[in-house]
Amino acid sequence: MLSATDLVIDIPERKSGTPLCFDVKSGEIWGILGPNGAGKTTLLHTLAGLKKPRSGKVNLNNSDIQQLRRKHVAQQLAVVFQNNGEGFPATVLETAMIGRHPFISPWDIETADDLAIARSALQKLELSNLEQRLVSTLSGGERQRLAIATALCQSPKLWLADEPSNHLDLKHQVQIMALLAEQADSGCGIILCLHDLNLAAHWCDKILLLYPNGDACWGDADTMLTVTALERLYDQELSMISSEGQTYFMPVSSRNSRRD
Amino acid sequence: MRRYHINLVRGLLFVTALLAAHVHADICVNDDSGAQLCLTKAAQRIIALSPGATELVYAAGAGDKLVAAVSFSDYPEPAKNLPRVGSYNRFDQEAILALKPDLLIGWLSGNPREQLSQLHSLGLSVYYSELRSFEDVASTLERIGALAGTDSTAKTAAKKFRVGVNDLRTRYQNSAPVTVFQQIWTNPLMTVNNEHIISEATRICGGVNVFGDLPNLTARIDNEAVLAAQPEAIIAGGMGEENRDWLNEWRRFSGLTAVRKNNLFFIPPSTIQRPTPRLLQGTTLLCKHLDTARGRR
Amino acid sequence: MAVVKTNNATSALPRFLTPLLLLFIFTLGALILAITTGSVHISNQELWQVLSGGGEPLHRTLVFELRLPRALSAFAAGGLLAVAGALMQVLLRNPLADPYVLGLSGGAAVGALIAMLSGLSATVVSGSAFIGAMISAVTVFGLAHGTGSWTPTRLLLTGVVIASGWGAAITFMLAVSPSDQLPGMLYWLMGDLAYARSPWMALTVLAIISVVMLPLGRSLNVLARGQMQAAALGVSVRPLEWTIYICASLLTAFAVTTAGSIGFVGLIVPHMLRLVLGNDQRLILPAAALAGGALLTLADTLARTVIAPEQLPAGVITALIGVPSFLYLLHRSR
Repeated sequence: MLSATDLVIDIPERKSGTPLCFDVKSGEIWGILGPNGAGKTTLLHTLAGLKKPRSGKVNLNNSDIQQLRRKHVAQQLAVVFQNNGEGFPATVLETAMIGRHPFISPWDIETADDLAIARSALQKLELSNLEQRLVSTLSGGERQRLAIATALCQSPKLWLADEPSNHLDLKHQVQIMALLAEQADSGCGIILCLHDLNLAAHWCDKILLLYPNGDACWGDADTMLTVTALERLYDQELSMISSEGQTYFMPVSSRNSRRD
Repeated sequence: MRRYHINLVRGLLFVTALLAAHVHADICVNDDSGAQLCLTKAAQRIIALSPGATELVYAAGAGDKLVAAVSFSDYPEPAKNLPRVGSYNRFDQEAILALKPDLLIGWLSGNPREQLSQLHSLGLSVYYSELRSFEDVASTLERIGALAGTDSTAKTAAKKFRVGVNDLRTRYQNSAPVTVFQQIWTNPLMTVNNEHIISEATRICGGVNVFGDLPNLTARIDNEAVLAAQPEAIIAGGMGEENRDWLNEWRRFSGLTAVRKNNLFFIPPSTIQRPTPRLLQGTTLLCKHLDTARGRR
Repeated sequence: MAVVKTNNATSALPRFLTPLLLLFIFTLGALILAITTGSVHISNQELWQVLSGGGEPLHRTLVFELRLPRALSAFAAGGLLAVAGALMQVLLRNPLADPYVLGLSGGAAVGALIAMLSGLSATVVSGSAFIGAMISAVTVFGLAHGTGSWTPTRLLLTGVVIASGWGAAITFMLAVSPSDQLPGMLYWLMGDLAYARSPWMALTVLAIISVVMLPLGRSLNVLARGQMQAAALGVSVRPLEWTIYICASLLTAFAVTTAGSIGFVGLIVPHMLRLVLGNDQRLILPAAALAGGALLTLADTLARTVIAPEQLPAGVITALIGVPSFLYLLHRSR
């Protein structure tokens, strides 16, 4: 569905590094991992066609995403941004409704169908009782869920989400990852920028590691998520724990090592 | 045959009379905008759109034909009772139209031009005045008199004014010149150049305006310029007709010739700043003051 | 599918139509008040005669030559300013934005004052104001565009600096100009409808831009959520921002040309409407045209009658009506 061909993202004053070549297929969940400043968000925006690459191409269903009309792209692909605070006052329902924008022609107004889609998205994310609240009065976690509800209204084939679990409590973290997995199962392609290694290990099929110097490697989750690779990625000592068939990574902190 | 002649003569007489009547009926004057203004009969309902114009209309003997004036039209006494149509820079067009005037005396540089030209386009006769000299006062009196049908009073007033000014001119033409600073406002400190009617008054009295060469008719200057110019006399008006505050402010500059010799003179502003026949009083007072200054040499 | 859509759409329309209808009635009321009130009393019966083609010539002149053109000019200028303000606020995503925040009125004022100083006619003064506004708009846009990206903050900063530049130029011109020219210049700067003659140009521009903005309303809603979010939702952000900027500039330029720089309407009317009607630009923009127009018409009617025959500048009254009602709404909304 979405593929990168010799893609080099454009981060000012950084060497080009490894050109990226991968293909996100229907039903796959990709996790992008990397330390702060490695360019995860830039990569996500480049994949969404919101930023021009330094070289190479991003193809959406085999056509160059830079050549496609934005509206056409928006009908296929939803982006969940990290900061949702910007902007003018709007209610929760109004914000969810803008997810329908790509599907309504300029002279039409939203139909009852659109409203129903928005309401069901809000319900899925447990925001129904906040419908008429102003976004500015919401908590960080509620805003994050609203951003995902808005993307859900777009009924996308592809999800590009920047730290979707940000600000969320444990219950909602699981809920949202389950929702994304459900979307993948129904045939969507999903790309996530993640900080939490354990979420990545638990939910992602494919992993892309992005190093601060521009190097990158990618592949199946189980082959990529090794202690040595991750220690090099984060420049941090890690320990791996297995429990009930799942793998967990823990940073080894100086306090622990002192106790040893 | 004879009868026919008589008829012919009668006919000719009739035509001549008609022509004469026609010529007589149209009163035409040139106003200060350079346009010619013609009235078919003498104006009966006049509105004066500046305090100065009101004074001129009274002086031209047409005061009883004034139906309205603007704020601050305070001279002569009866002017205070005239109905108002706003102030000179912002007047009520509706109120003016409702009074159905047959002549408006406008002020070219003071009234909002757009509003005046709109009133003109709605069919009102507008006389644009702009008085820049003593002679303008006399000729405006005559022109208003012509328009209002009060020729004789107006001509007498104009003559009296011209004679009065000429007397002053003759009396002081050989007097020793006195350098004068003419203060017309404070905060900001303002004076006038030689084009201004106040400077004409100063010249008549044998005075020399120290700031006469400034490019603008009125100009903002600072105290330092006055100290540098070292005028022999300072002439000022003030807020109100007898308020010497502006002059007293100069006393702190003891280095000024005018202060040292106590040549700080007050002239009621309405008698020297308004281009009306009262200018003669103001000028007479100014001449006396300058003579006093000469006496203190 | 199309049929279903239309059917459903009609059910959502009343949400827009009711407030607009109410505002339309309010506007009509303001216009009627404007042509019935003045220093000359015209009774309803006399007014009816005038409107049906008869009546006294004086009354006909008052209604058709003075009151009606002035009321329509006030309506047009108020509507233009309110719509321009609403657009600027969305474009800059800044609630403090008004039509003048990017220096348009400064440019227009400098243009107008230069024409006045040169002793040119009123038509030239208007034209010159328009040119000044457009020069300012192009300068701000060119500089903000510069080499880098075009963020609202950068645009705002450029505009504010250019505006202070114009401010200095205006002060300079006021300081050096002959004092007999000063009153005219000051009245222009205060904004005054006494000079407004023909409202048709401004009304036409208001109508055209309102129609142009109609299909863009929903895109504006999306843009109000931020540039990135809008792009992700399929809005061509750059062209849309250009369109908003050009439209807002044209609206402001025509408003300033009609009535001088009347303050306040452009800032407060969009905010008042948002407090009452919500944040949907598709409703706010046409509502701003009506409410802004009605407010200025009302303000001008008061300005010329409240201490008649003395006349006040309309800007004084817009603030006198606007400030308390805005504060009331703001207080109530908390």
